[in-house]
Amino acid sequence: MVNARTYKRITESTTASMLPADEDLVLQYVEHGDEKAFRILVDRHQERVFGYLLGMVRDREVANDLFQETFLKVISALSKKRASYTVQGKFLGWVLRIARNGALDHLRARKKWKDVSSSQTEDEVDYWDRLPDESPLIDTMIHRSEQSELLKDCINALPEEQREVLLLRHEADMTFREIADLTGCSINTALGRMRYALINLRRQLMAQHSKDLTEVAE
Amino acid sequence: MKNDKRDILLHLYGESESESDLRTLLRNPDLKEEYTALSEAKFRLDLRKRERPDAAVMNTIMAAARTGIEPSGMYSRVDRGPIARGSRLRKVLVPALSFAAVVLFSVGVGLFSVDWSSDQRIPLAESAVNDLVPPESLYRFVPPHRDAVSPSTSQDSELEWDDRTTLSSVNDRLNSLKPSDLLDWGESAVPLESLPNSNRPGFQTVGSIRK
Repeated sequence: MVNARTYKRITESTTASMLPADEDLVLQYVEHGDEKAFRILVDRHQERVFGYLLGMVRDREVANDLFQETFLKVISALSKKRASYTVQGKFLGWVLRIARNGALDHLRARKKWKDVSSSQTEDEVDYWDRLPDESPLIDTMIHRSEQSELLKDCINALPEEQREVLLLRHEADMTFREIADLTGCSINTALGRMRYALINLRRQLMAQHSKDLTEVAE
Repeated sequence: MKNDKRDILLHLYGESESESDLRTLLRNPDLKEEYTALSEAKFRLDLRKRERPDAAVMNTIMAAARTGIEPSGMYSRVDRGPIARGSRLRKVLVPALSFAAVVLFSVGVGLFSVDWSSDQRIPLAESAVNDLVPPESLYRFVPPHRDAVSPSTSQDSELEWDDRTTLSSVNDRLNSLKPSDLLDWGESAVPLESLPNSNRPGFQTVGSIRK
């Protein structure tokens, strides 16, 4: 079955041979200061990077901040021709690494703030450390008319590790091997997290669906 | 995770490198059920609308790309370092750097003021030879064409301190040393410059000029 998104990807990959590669555009920007080349790069990857950031931080304003910060760092690094980006390397992978560091910094800072503000004892299991098969948020979820909002909430309710792999695969279009490299885990771990993410997502959606049916019946 | 379930997932995302055929895997009811469940969730995810950043963010990024410089005050996130820390650091750094700059400047000026003239760099051996006879009484610059030179024979051109008797005695000494090119082993050493055939372009002994 070929849906609209899959079709879009197929079209993208077919026309990819006609479009300049990321590395060529980077060179064009670095060597000749070609602003248009950089614009093409940002346009090409904005959805991937922003989708990943938004899914990670779950706050549009923060995601905008992080997105801007990421690309300003990219510009700064390219302008100074720092060694962190090599022409042989993959541009998107490099950008996502910068974005991920920013997102993790933010999440750590937020976690710290939460730890200080909440009266959680050390014996209590922290949200960041546990790996539940089902999220308790599903019970508190209010009725959603739009399926996309429901799906977004279900994704947000996933444990961090599972959510990140899901976002990197579905938003950033990275392969499982690339995800493993980026997150510093084995490919089997990345696949395992993805499997649990899909299973949990389906469970949540089904639970929400049955809840909706019950409400309608009442 | 079992390899079959791993392969199922890789097949689902079109990343399978293994030879195992999907149809063969799906003959197993458990795997088939798993594949169906995962496909459902994936299908929902594939339909999801893509999100884009705000236009203002894109404009800021492109403005920075144009100049290659990060706009000031761009980072406005709450979890950034406190500004006070920066100012405290500045309070210490600025005077320290200023002092270092003044010291470097002073050292630089001192080095430039030292007179590195050539006479201070004469090798020790040569200066020792020159100590035997005052150099000004032995040498005088002579251009390559002798005819063009007007030797300072006139009384007016001679300086007052240039004692003629001293010059004469030096000249006599040089004359006595003239056959010294026939020197043999064991004879007393003479300054190299006093030998008549010494090959020093542009320089000649005063005695030879006066002849």
